[in-house]
Amino acid sequence: MNSPTLLPLPGPFTEPWLDRAGAPAENREVNHLVRRAFGDATAFLRHSRRLGWADLVVVAALGGVAFAASRLAQGAALPMRPAVEIDLSLAALPGYTVLSLMRGLAALALSLLFTLAYGYWAARDALAERVLVPLLDVLQSVPVLGFMPGLVLSLVALFPGSNIGIELAAIVMIFTGQAWNMTFSFYRSVRSVPAVQLEVAHHYHFSWWQRFRWVELPASVIGLTWNAMMSMAGGWFFLMVSEAFVLGSRDFRLPGLGAYMSVAVAAGDGRAMLAAVVAMVVMIVVLDQLLWRPVVVWSQKFRQDEGQGGEEARSWFLDLLRRSRLVRLLRRWRRRLASSVTPKPHPPVEPSAAAGRLSRLLPLVLFGGLMVLLAVGALELVRLLREVAWSVWATTLLAAGATLARVLLAVALGTLWALPAGLAIGLSPKLSRVLQPVVQVVASFPAPMLFPAVVAVLAQLGVGLSGGSVVLMLLGTQWYILFNVVAGAMAVPSDLREAAASYRITGWRRFKLLLLPSVLPYLITGWVTAAGGAWNASIVSEYVAYRGQTLTTFGLGARIGVAAEAADFPLLAASVVVMSAVVVLFNRLVWRPLNSYAERRFTP
Amino acid sequence: MAADTARPPLYAIEGVSHTFVLPSGQRLEVLRDVSVEIREDEVVALLGPSGCGKSTILRILAGLIKPTSGAVKVRGQPLLGMAPGVAIVFQGFALFPWMTVVENVRAVLQAAGLPPAEAATRIADAIRMVGLAGFEEAYPRELSGGMKQRVGMARALSLRPEALFMDEPFSQVDALTAEALRAEILDIWSAKQQDPSALLLVSHDIKEVVTMADRIVVLSANPGRVRTVVENRLPRPRDPRSPEVLALVDRLHDLITGHELPDLPEPAAPAAVEAQPEILPSAPVGDVIGLIEWLDARGGQEDVFRIAAETGREFGHLLTAVKAAELLELVDTPKRLAVLTSGGKAFAAAGPEGRKAAWREKLLTLRLFADVRDALAVAPGHRLPRDFVLDTIVLRMPAEDYDRVFQIWIGWARYGDLFAYDEDDGTVSLQ
Repeated sequence: MNSPTLLPLPGPFTEPWLDRAGAPAENREVNHLVRRAFGDATAFLRHSRRLGWADLVVVAALGGVAFAASRLAQGAALPMRPAVEIDLSLAALPGYTVLSLMRGLAALALSLLFTLAYGYWAARDALAERVLVPLLDVLQSVPVLGFMPGLVLSLVALFPGSNIGIELAAIVMIFTGQAWNMTFSFYRSVRSVPAVQLEVAHHYHFSWWQRFRWVELPASVIGLTWNAMMSMAGGWFFLMVSEAFVLGSRDFRLPGLGAYMSVAVAAGDGRAMLAAVVAMVVMIVVLDQLLWRPVVVWSQKFRQDEGQGGEEARSWFLDLLRRSRLVRLLRRWRRRLASSVTPKPHPPVEPSAAAGRLSRLLPLVLFGGLMVLLAVGALELVRLLREVAWSVWATTLLAAGATLARVLLAVALGTLWALPAGLAIGLSPKLSRVLQPVVQVVASFPAPMLFPAVVAVLAQLGVGLSGGSVVLMLLGTQWYILFNVVAGAMAVPSDLREAAASYRITGWRRFKLLLLPSVLPYLITGWVTAAGGAWNASIVSEYVAYRGQTLTTFGLGARIGVAAEAADFPLLAASVVVMSAVVVLFNRLVWRPLNSYAERRFTP
Repeated sequence: MAADTARPPLYAIEGVSHTFVLPSGQRLEVLRDVSVEIREDEVVALLGPSGCGKSTILRILAGLIKPTSGAVKVRGQPLLGMAPGVAIVFQGFALFPWMTVVENVRAVLQAAGLPPAEAATRIADAIRMVGLAGFEEAYPRELSGGMKQRVGMARALSLRPEALFMDEPFSQVDALTAEALRAEILDIWSAKQQDPSALLLVSHDIKEVVTMADRIVVLSANPGRVRTVVENRLPRPRDPRSPEVLALVDRLHDLITGHELPDLPEPAAPAAVEAQPEILPSAPVGDVIGLIEWLDARGGQEDVFRIAAETGREFGHLLTAVKAAELLELVDTPKRLAVLTSGGKAFAAAGPEGRKAAWREKLLTLRLFADVRDALAVAPGHRLPRDFVLDTIVLRMPAEDYDRVFQIWIGWARYGDLFAYDEDDGTVSLQ
């Protein structure tokens, strides 16, 4: 065939030759066929490209979660094996990391459930509120280790012969490091739903469930998101303790990243320690990208303010999910399912007498149950505390003083660097864009995993644990100060900054007149959170396991660590009670007045 | 529009009084012996200055608030719970920011238990009726004030209510949009084959009330009481610029000024001064001085309503400033005029120091200030806690929110260089 007029060489990716007008009829036929085949092929290609990797990622993620969950469940169902052998090889690390991740997520789910139930109850029932809110304040100040023995012993006893009890205990211990601030946030959000929105709900006969779903829950999404992020980081803080702990003569160890680290530290295996740190960082980054970013972006929908609001947050993963056909399909199914279950028309009726009686009775019954629970707990506590000798009380109080001094020192040291650094970051959009994500990852990293390295450096420098524990506390809590100062610096009104610039107010005077007053309310919030974290961290800072030996110094945290390990319950109870009391008192007498002063004087 | 008196009114309150208990435990009487009724096929307006309890009356009629005393009736039957057949359009729109236009409307239909198919038609109808087509998937934050209030109206109308209650619906909407919305609402109401058959409009805008309402309930403040009820038989549609409408607006103006700024001097019996409550109008110093300046620049007198119109102030706010100036004997108020007194003219002519001196002198003729000055003179360090002043205020103005009164009080005193107030330790001292 030699007919260049019929099928000239096409230019790359151009198709007009297919329908050239001057072509003979039979050729047009051929052309038509070619075009059809070609069109089908491109359509198929486009089709498969759309199905492509967005769905692949979704399927892989779902599969991964299912696999990890089943492994966790399998491990839990195994016959009782309190101390699992931890394999320090690198190959075992990914598996351990996934198991720890699953525990963290399970704890988060538990925290969320607790938050919704407890926070809603406290917000909607004025009688219960008077007990629940102070109780939450106390729970928040109880160190995580204070919950450990009771939880472990009761849960292990509940599931004799299997690891479910220990597994649950680990999850609940992580939960105790996560739940409280989420609950507070939710409670406050529900309480501060704008009155007019409640009026609309009331006027248009929303049922309690509709009010919850359409008004109260949306109003709390943003606060809950940020607090859940913080909680997740707080939960990791005690990962090592939660997965590997000693209670009296019994040694408990679960397969996971925390236990891997503990064993690596005990064995002095530097390579394994480094690997665990890397695994932790990877886990935090992945979690940030795949869970928190998308949730944060999604939560922006629930802003209360009507303004357009500054920069839009973005998440590549959420974009991907939105692009995924699979997810769209699932959503369509869900919608179809929802609409097929047609709600029966129920004309709004006045509540019947019986329903009215029930709705009045239920809170009372719940409240009664709560009071009984509290009374039993209090009795049990008193019984334990009566065994504590006066001299022990005296030493405990002295130890509390020592730890208090360390906590305050850690907060002061943290302020010293975090205040200027936070101002620098917050006032410079460029710096904050670059550093914010880095700082976030660093801050989520559980400081105790770095303790062995820090202790080694301190030992080299000849610093004992008495001072060294301050550094350890600092590692975990300085970020709260930094974050709050950054937020405060970003919120300095731009007209004030311009005014200061135009009147040539610079340097120290600018700091004193403009910056410090503007960030003070934020700084105080940072102090409160940092101090709370430092108290909790004192347990792992004053009592550090390092290369098979245990370093301790005089302090309340060390006493709690010792008592827990020795299963000396009266001493543990006494120490925990003293710590909670000091924290609550300090909050009431120092932080709260300081906070309200700052709010009154320095917020516009 | 003749009231059908044979049948009981759709919604009515009879002899209602209401007292709020403030968080401080203080009681605030907002309504005293108020009766209002709403009949089929009529538009009723509640007109009055801010703080006269208009919105509270609307909420009591709707069943959102249970009054302290008095009867609430629906078609002659005592009301339990929420009033049936009522939909409210709220002043601040009260839309859920996380729901789109459609979702905002759908929520109330779902709550009313409508099946999805029926709800979908009603949503489409309501959205078309208020002219929101094309904005179904928009979020409230993307809409202007006028569009937001259309969503509020669509939400209310989608329930096909017998009565639409509107709580200052156009006060947060620009003037042109408000004009259009008023006409649309009247169109919807006058279509007899569909609900709503009755409208209740809460407003402080006299023109709005005259163009819209068949019956105007004029209220007075502190506590809220019905001053009078004006029947408005002007034929519809009403042109806001027609002489008949303007005449009625004028009449209402006179009614309100005549009550709020009475011409008769109150008999000042010296013996009764102790027991007489002394009301401090809640006008900040700047408003009073601004009023004096304004009057001075216009030859010393002006119609109060023209002042409101030309300065763009809400009439109620302006009245408090006039009352304050009158209390300080800076202006006089014959009929609806505000006239500078000789004291007022001197005040306007004086420099900053002269003004402060005159102001101080006037303040000391008021017991609220004189009492505190006398007490400070003998107090150790010439210093007294804020609570002492609050007690004095409560004694003189029992029905008021004393925190707010204190703010005004200290503002007046500071301007007159009379007292100083230290917020940190909460003490008042002699200047």
